Amino acid sequence: MSALAASVASAVVGSSVREGFGPTTIDLPRERWTEALEATAGAGATFFDLLTAYDDGAAGLAVVVHIAASDLRDHLLLRTALPLGDLALATATTVYRGAAWHERETHEMFGIDFIGNTHLDPLLLPAGFSATPLRKEFVLAARAARAWPGEKDPTDEGGRPRRRILPPGVPADWPAAST
Amino acid sequence: MTPGPAAPRPARTRGVIALVEESCTVCMLCVRECPDWCIEIDSHTVTLPPDDTHRRPRTEAVLDRFAIDFGLCMYCGICVEVCPFDALHWSPVAEYAATSSAALTHERDRLASWEATVLEPGALDPRAVVDDPGPRRAVRPATGS
Repeated sequence: MSALAASVASAVVGSSVREGFGPTTIDLPRERWTEALEATAGAGATFFDLLTAYDDGAAGLAVVVHIAASDLRDHLLLRTALPLGDLALATATTVYRGAAWHERETHEMFGIDFIGNTHLDPLLLPAGFSATPLRKEFVLAARAARAWPGEKDPTDEGGRPRRRILPPGVPADWPAAST
Repeated sequence: MTPGPAAPRPARTRGVIALVEESCTVCMLCVRECPDWCIEIDSHTVTLPPDDTHRRPRTEAVLDRFAIDFGLCMYCGICVEVCPFDALHWSPVAEYAATSSAALTHERDRLASWEATVLEPGALDPRAVVDDPGPRRAVRPATGS
């Protein structure tokens, strides 16, 4: 484990370390988010790289932040899971001011509230657009506008498949609901 | 082309996808798994008469069209992974820029032409997990006559 990750993991109660192919990932309970960010800064991290989220299906969303210590040539990921019913997390801007823009975009694309960040205005989406496009439940308009090439059944000469197959990521009544 | 002499490319370079036409059985798996919907296949079926190994007439799908739109492709490689008959392979060739988006759709002939540029697979990474299920059937020991 990297020295940076080791010092953060030992400083934050309830954290668990996961090492894969990439940088060390530290999973945190969300109450410890700010504390862990402060621990990275205390351990010599100087460079806030990015904050983003991903849709983990039924498990909810996960927020990930990538932080580097350029002097130590070390970096790590901090991650916390948010259940779908309660998408709120303390802001990282109290520790890394550069996180403001990333939180603004993550709020817009995933609908996560960053408590303490007062400038979560829309960044890329048009005014009045209330959906969260980077969640898996969001159906792309292009999916309804175009026929799915996989609907063809090569064994069926009539052109209609015997059992209708739907592409992944579209609702069962697609495309009627989307058009 | 990039200026200067071309550097050798690693075996896993994702440049363009090559099609081995003889291996394609028109199973549609690549088309259905593609997240970008960039693969299109047309086919028809032919009825083959019974022969020595097949006692009944059978129908077989014949490939008419296989096209990949590299303007939509995001080079995820799911089609290459999912193909049960290894009809799709990564080629390191990346020099196929076009002046119209329509020209980025490579039809069957062009996809087949990339096959000659596919590299031999490279060595596994040091920490790679080799998923070897072993022989599918128990090998029956040869019985002495």
